[in-house]
Amino acid sequence: MSALPLVPPLFPAGKEPLPPGFTEDDRQVMLQNKRMQNYMQMGMESCIAKTVMAAGMGFGMGAFISLMSSSFAYEDPLIRQQQQAIGAISTTAKAKEIFAEMGRGMWRSGKGFAKVTVLFAGTECVIESYRARNDIGNAIAAGFIAGGVLARNTGPRGALWGGLGFSAFSAAIDLFLRRETPEED
Amino acid sequence: MSFLGRGPVAPSSAGPLSSERVEAAIQEVELVTDVFNRIVSSCHSKCINQRYLDGELSKGESVCIDRCVAKFFEANKRMGEKLQTMGAAAG
Repeated sequence: MSALPLVPPLFPAGKEPLPPGFTEDDRQVMLQNKRMQNYMQMGMESCIAKTVMAAGMGFGMGAFISLMSSSFAYEDPLIRQQQQAIGAISTTAKAKEIFAEMGRGMWRSGKGFAKVTVLFAGTECVIESYRARNDIGNAIAAGFIAGGVLARNTGPRGALWGGLGFSAFSAAIDLFLRRETPEED
Repeated sequence: MSFLGRGPVAPSSAGPLSSERVEAAIQEVELVTDVFNRIVSSCHSKCINQRYLDGELSKGESVCIDRCVAKFFEANKRMGEKLQTMGAAAG
């Protein structure tokens, strides 16, 4: 198990040569460490971890976009007129209200984006594990399913078109990511 | 490993370094190496994308390699058993 990669197993299982500086007593500890490391790596590469990371990234992206767009979503002359009529609230209270509104918008937008990315990434990972191939068909199928699920409230035709649109979009992104880059040297 | 009270041991007796056992060990290492090389070359040609997009193994490739090695071992074992029964039946 602790053999070098690409080298055939020349030594019996428990008797590989120790790296310099380790004694025979450390072998069990080294084996345990290697096992834990393998489990960590398997966990990081599993579909669940990928879905969780996609959720985090989707949420971050949604929150960022909402943050940027909240700066030009707030000027409303009617509200200003109303406030001048009632009597001005203090600047601190106004600022707090603005930030609270921004936070709610970020949360809502982040949740929406996270749903999209979780659906897509989870479905793509499952399809890829099933097919055992890494080509563009995974992105197309996952995009179709994700688009269909996201558009499920608009009836069967709406879900069909939503699926086709999202799958075309994700296929375009995947083609871009797999494009032939010019050789660097 | 003390040879007190015995004469010089004949070289091809069943000591730990007899030539038969060394021969058998060499055969076994060669066999294992051969099986390993076959696994590597066949599973590489079947499973790994010919266009190297990324240094890491993707999810599909690693799943494919797991399945390929498992199938190879299974097939190897069954062929070995079959050959053994055929050899026993013939001789």
